[in-house]
Amino acid sequence: MGNASKLAWRLFKHEARRGELTIILAAIILSVAAVLSLSLFSERLQGALTERSATFLAADRQLRARAPLDESWVSEARSQDIATASQVQLRSMVFGDENMSLADLRAVDDNYPLKGAITVANEPFGEQQKIQQVPEPGTAWIDSRLFQLLGIEPGGNIEIGDASFTVSRVLAEVPDAGFSLFSTDPLVLIHQQDLAAANITGPGSRVTYKAYFAGDNGQLDDYYDWLQPQLNDELHRWQSVEDDESPIGRSVARAGQYFLLASLLAIVLAAVSIAVAAQRYSQRHFDPVAIMKTLGATRSMIRKVYTLQICFIATLGIVIGIVAGVAIQQVVVSALAGTVEVSLAVWHWRPVIIAVFTGVVCAVLFSMYPLLRLFSIPPLRVLRRDLDSNLSSRTLQFAVSGLAVFLLMWAYSQNLEISAILFVSGVVLVAALILVTVGLIFVGRKFATNQMGPWQLAWARISRRAMDNSVQLISFSITIMLLLVVLVMRNDMIAQWQAQLPQGTPNYFLINITQQQKPELDTHFEQNDVEIGHFYPVVRGRFVSVNDEKVNTEVTKEEESEDDNGRDGLGREANLTWSNTLQNENRIVEGNWHGDVQAENNEFAVSVEHEVAGRLNISIGDTLTFNIGSEVVKASVTSFREVNWQSMQPNFFFILSPAAMQNFTPTYITSFYLPTEKKAGLTELLKPFPSVTLFDVDARINQLRGIVEQVSLAVEFILILVLVAGSLVLIAQVQASMDERQQELAILRTLGAKGSLIRASVVYEFVIIGIVAGFMAALANELSLYLLQTQLFNMPASFHFWYWLIAPVVGAAVVGLLGAIGCWRLLTLNTSQLLRKIM
Amino acid sequence: MIKTSKITKKVTTNEGQLEILKPISFEVKSGESVAIVGASGSGKSTLLGLLAGLDEVSEGEIFLDNEPLHTMNEEQRAQLRGAKVGFIFQSFMLVQSLTALENVMLPAQIAGAKNARSQAKEILEQVGLGHRGSHYPNQLSGGEQQRVAIARAFIGQPKILFADEPTGNLDAANSEKIEKLLFALNHDSGTTLVLVTHDEELARHCDRQLVMQAGQLTEAAAQTAERKDVSHG
Repeated sequence: MGNASKLAWRLFKHEARRGELTIILAAIILSVAAVLSLSLFSERLQGALTERSATFLAADRQLRARAPLDESWVSEARSQDIATASQVQLRSMVFGDENMSLADLRAVDDNYPLKGAITVANEPFGEQQKIQQVPEPGTAWIDSRLFQLLGIEPGGNIEIGDASFTVSRVLAEVPDAGFSLFSTDPLVLIHQQDLAAANITGPGSRVTYKAYFAGDNGQLDDYYDWLQPQLNDELHRWQSVEDDESPIGRSVARAGQYFLLASLLAIVLAAVSIAVAAQRYSQRHFDPVAIMKTLGATRSMIRKVYTLQICFIATLGIVIGIVAGVAIQQVVVSALAGTVEVSLAVWHWRPVIIAVFTGVVCAVLFSMYPLLRLFSIPPLRVLRRDLDSNLSSRTLQFAVSGLAVFLLMWAYSQNLEISAILFVSGVVLVAALILVTVGLIFVGRKFATNQMGPWQLAWARISRRAMDNSVQLISFSITIMLLLVVLVMRNDMIAQWQAQLPQGTPNYFLINITQQQKPELDTHFEQNDVEIGHFYPVVRGRFVSVNDEKVNTEVTKEEESEDDNGRDGLGREANLTWSNTLQNENRIVEGNWHGDVQAENNEFAVSVEHEVAGRLNISIGDTLTFNIGSEVVKASVTSFREVNWQSMQPNFFFILSPAAMQNFTPTYITSFYLPTEKKAGLTELLKPFPSVTLFDVDARINQLRGIVEQVSLAVEFILILVLVAGSLVLIAQVQASMDERQQELAILRTLGAKGSLIRASVVYEFVIIGIVAGFMAALANELSLYLLQTQLFNMPASFHFWYWLIAPVVGAAVVGLLGAIGCWRLLTLNTSQLLRKIM
Repeated sequence: MIKTSKITKKVTTNEGQLEILKPISFEVKSGESVAIVGASGSGKSTLLGLLAGLDEVSEGEIFLDNEPLHTMNEEQRAQLRGAKVGFIFQSFMLVQSLTALENVMLPAQIAGAKNARSQAKEILEQVGLGHRGSHYPNQLSGGEQQRVAIARAFIGQPKILFADEPTGNLDAANSEKIEKLLFALNHDSGTTLVLVTHDEELARHCDRQLVMQAGQLTEAAAQTAERKDVSHG
């Protein structure tokens, strides 16, 4: 070992033993542990959630096609150890003893489903159970509704095409049924072997062929790379869990974004704490460097000694950080076991690599400037103690640190947008803080000229050490801001999820209610003490032309919803409704809601859902033509609406003005909430209305609620982790700044200042810094939240009035308290100990 | 051993250029002890900094053991200091995170000496602190810290020793001890000693005294003689 290495090792050993490295070491440990535990946990949780989402796809990947799939594609997948299953789906007439009905027929093979399970019941609307099997050949499992519609009992027979089936079970749910409430026909599940006998997939029938795949992500990606060149965009659609557009898919995606955000913030927090600690570390070594240089150490030797020291510290910090991170994560996972489902896959390397990378980058980049300053300390400092480094460029420091943070965020998230949003708000915050500091110097000067009370002492200190304080202010503000962002995002997100599914969300829908049945139904439900929702009038109509230009009417609704290329037209019959008042969860994005006003040219007004409008290339002012029965209705588009499809309520593509529809007799849609304990009486409740069709969405809602609760819990846990990380950073900052205060406290103490005066002045100083930091954090928080919510989370932006009050108060309280604790420790030393400490 | 020729030091301040040291020329012979005395702010420490190569002259020439300090860069000056110069400071300037023994070892280690530890132990014994080698500076009294600093100064057997107010932070009793120790070691090793001090007693022990006044150095042999006369009279 060379002399420099020996010296570096010796310094490291002693300083570690004497606790001199505690802060910088703690900062590195903290950053590595926080990043590791956060990303390890979120990776595992994501794994679990993805696994869960996969059940809604019945597989990890799904290939849908309008033509039979090439057998060789499936056998290639099998040869790559990917599990496969297949399904043929089509709309078909099902015949019972007396009636017939259109059904959503699904013919599956024995492997279906690859993920999730089929839910069945023994009697219509009866108690449900999950099973891992498919109908035997010759049997069919059918939806509860079909028993009503076909007038049959379990064990009865149905006919589909040329084949006859025994109904052996009630089908409650298949994993990939889809979420659309009003487009689905009742489900029928049969074995694929029977499809040929039924003879229903001939020319002219609209069949969807599905292949399901499950396996490792890597395997599946490789397989897709192989498959993709052979696919035809017109015919095939590859779907993965991430493409899930269902409410659950979106919740999971949003939670994923949140975890990413939280981890990014943890990285920034870690970076701030390392920057603070590295600066302190550098300052503490000014004297030893000057001494060594005086004793003949060359610059390169000093460089070697201190670079090696940082390497030792970083290595130790990273190792301890990884152990701590794994331990924290393990503790949390076992604490949450049973409440939150986490992936059982035990180990993920990615988070470890990220954590080590973070530790190294933070340690190297944030200690670089303080080290450069350290290297340039002149030896003359041994004679003139006031001599500082001749390298003093805050701009350089800010630029290097800023760049480092940005690169870390970008590298980690691989998401330029989220990194840029956080970074820009950070830069705005720093600029604003510098302005505030300048203001404080000005105010402080005026204030400090009066007699010396604790407030004056505090102000005097703040304004005198303006630059140091601004660095401190900035780090306090950033910490508080990051905590606010994580807290507010969590609150907003959970509130939104819960708002989607409040207690009492309707779990049953009724359609096909006639005008005549409407009052009867209302009274009947009231008598049975079941609250029923709003009745929406519905008329089925065919959308035929835009400005008299015919649209393609061949496309069925099912395909339209699966097909991105829906430009041709809605074609199929749409549910048309009318109203003067805008529905909840609907928002006008262009034009004006028609209300009671008629459109120009005495045409009727129609409001169109904006995504459909975009797809069909409809503009405001266009005239749409609908065929309703034998009548033709023309309406002028007066507005586009944004519809929250995630809300459990009937939503419509077209809402017309009531005047347009006055000649038509509608049926009605309504919904109601039935608590679990009343479920048994459901059949009885609906007996008087045999023609009304019932949709049971209870299972769906419970599933959705379950996931939302799970994700909320996980989000809460992450919030706590970030809060702990943030508090530790605050402690590190106060600790670091306490060092600088020692000398002053010693002098004041020596001059006979009372302990209470010194204590009060230090606490006030921290309180002032805390208030300003809190206020600035609230400002930056508002800015970054606005950007995050509107640009990234696709949530409506919200203004957080309370945080403008809470942040400064909490800032003052926490920072003041930490300051008090810090200076208490100093004041327990007697004056001579204090003096010796600073010599 | 030291030869200066018209050295000056100028600094730029808000009010323009300020000449801290007026042209100074003098010589110090090998083995000689010289005290630089003068009021606070007269430029003593600045001169010491220049002589020791801690700072650069604005004009003029300095030769240290015949080596032209004024032409050297910082790295070369550091090497020269490591090889030939020892230091003692008013505020001791020990590295707080190293033990007494390790502080003494430091110059030898920087110079790459093989037996730094045994040398350091030996010299620590000489200054009477052999039993306190494992103590950290803040566990030692002021007098003890300065003895460690003296041990550190002598470990490399320097040709020249610079001392800046070596007794400035000590009480009378400790000052006397340090003074004795310093001159004893200096005498034994034949080192050239240049010290800056306010302490007349300490200055009197030196072979020569130079007086610094407002940036000008006066060769004060006469003064010294006169003082010696006074003290002897």
